[in-house]
Amino acid sequence: MKARLLRREVLPFLLWFALLTAAALVLDAALHALDLDWIGRYLGIPGAILILGSFAYSLRKRKLILAGRPAGLLRLHERMAWTGSLLVLVHAGVHFNAILAWLAVAAMLINVASGLTGKFLLDRSRRRLEEARQRMRQQAITEEKLEELTYWDSLTFDAVKQWRAVHLPITLAFAVLAIAHIAGVFLFWSWQ
Amino acid sequence: MKRAWLWALICANLAALIALAFVYPDLMVSPGPLTHGHEQVQKQCFSCHRPWRGSAASLCLKCHVLAQIGLRTTKGVAPSGTRIAVPFHQQLIEHDCMACHSDHAGPKFTEHSRKHFSHALLQSAVRDRCETCHARPDNEMHRALLVGCAICHGPDRWKPAAFDHASLASAVLARCDGCHQSPKDSLHRQVTGSCGQCHRPGRWKPATFEHDRYFLLDSDHNVRCNVCHGGEGYRAYSCFGCHEHRADEIRARHEEEGIRNFEDCARCHRSPDAEAEGNGLDGGRERD
Repeated sequence: MKARLLRREVLPFLLWFALLTAAALVLDAALHALDLDWIGRYLGIPGAILILGSFAYSLRKRKLILAGRPAGLLRLHERMAWTGSLLVLVHAGVHFNAILAWLAVAAMLINVASGLTGKFLLDRSRRRLEEARQRMRQQAITEEKLEELTYWDSLTFDAVKQWRAVHLPITLAFAVLAIAHIAGVFLFWSWQ
Repeated sequence: MKRAWLWALICANLAALIALAFVYPDLMVSPGPLTHGHEQVQKQCFSCHRPWRGSAASLCLKCHVLAQIGLRTTKGVAPSGTRIAVPFHQQLIEHDCMACHSDHAGPKFTEHSRKHFSHALLQSAVRDRCETCHARPDNEMHRALLVGCAICHGPDRWKPAAFDHASLASAVLARCDGCHQSPKDSLHRQVTGSCGQCHRPGRWKPATFEHDRYFLLDSDHNVRCNVCHGGEGYRAYSCFGCHEHRADEIRARHEEEGIRNFEDCARCHRSPDAEAEGNGLDGGRERD
């Protein structure tokens, strides 16, 4: 009768997020095993371009551009951001050096998590919670009892909503840190 | 209102982080700590890097005077024992320090992929004279060699080596047991003389020894080598000496047929059971 949001929605979402990091680890390990780890150094470029391209949806959503179907742009946003994040993760590897670059990676991962929250959890969680409440009402369960029964699900739903709220601020943090990292690379590295 | 505070907090934190990048570039931006000896320039990135153009050998050479590398440290004292044995930096084809040196240590498990010294960077006159930097191996085989290391060894690795016997002096080449152990099997224990009678220098197998080409050793003739081959090498042999082949009897039987050249038995008798091949004329058979 309960909505069971944690098991049905949150855990699958976490597994899907884990897939991103696992794929990055496998790719990074493969590049090292094949002695091609130098490729990872350059994967930051297509990764950043893909993430930058995914902003088209954000601009469309806020009506800063008018071209493109929002629904199509949203799908594109999800795919480009996910793939770009994967490439950036491989680019970062598991090398704990420059703090600035790692903060940028951390901000990116939080951003991906909050984006996935919107994609996977919010709508379905809201729907599932509401369906559960409706079923309980049909069974003449009192509002007080209903609140008690859906207490943990409501709590989970509120937590999920908070994650969604950080998507834009964290995007700003990621953008600033990534630009600082890229500026540092241009400033100190030789492209010859 | 709450949202504005959140934005302000994030912006303040970001500004602080960017400021920290200027104060602690070694922690915030550097890809790893600098190598030993460069600790004092840990925060002075532009000691080695030119803005927007990367690091430059010219900046390295400001402190590391080329003529002194390997001879004197930047402080003007003689290098300690752990330094390079032979100064060779002066002999490089170009002075591109970053071709070999990466000053930032980087992560431990990417150490194997870092660049190492390449002999290709040496001027050919130095590159071809390995002993300029390397000590000759002190073992019997290498002591006897008269040729350059490059005949067998590649420039960047000692092994694998492609050894060619042709590079050995003829006296050394003739003495296989100088480098190789003699085989201990029953056949080889009997053999005297050089391995070169059957084996070629390049490979042990295939060996050219095929007794059947000369004479088939059937069960009656499977004897020790020195029963037939006396002591004058394996080309010389004699069938006389056993009870079956007595010299006077053989002579009589062959002369009866008009065959005078009967000393080289295997010339006509390649197998104990088969009929004689040829007629012995070209070897001196004379018919009446």
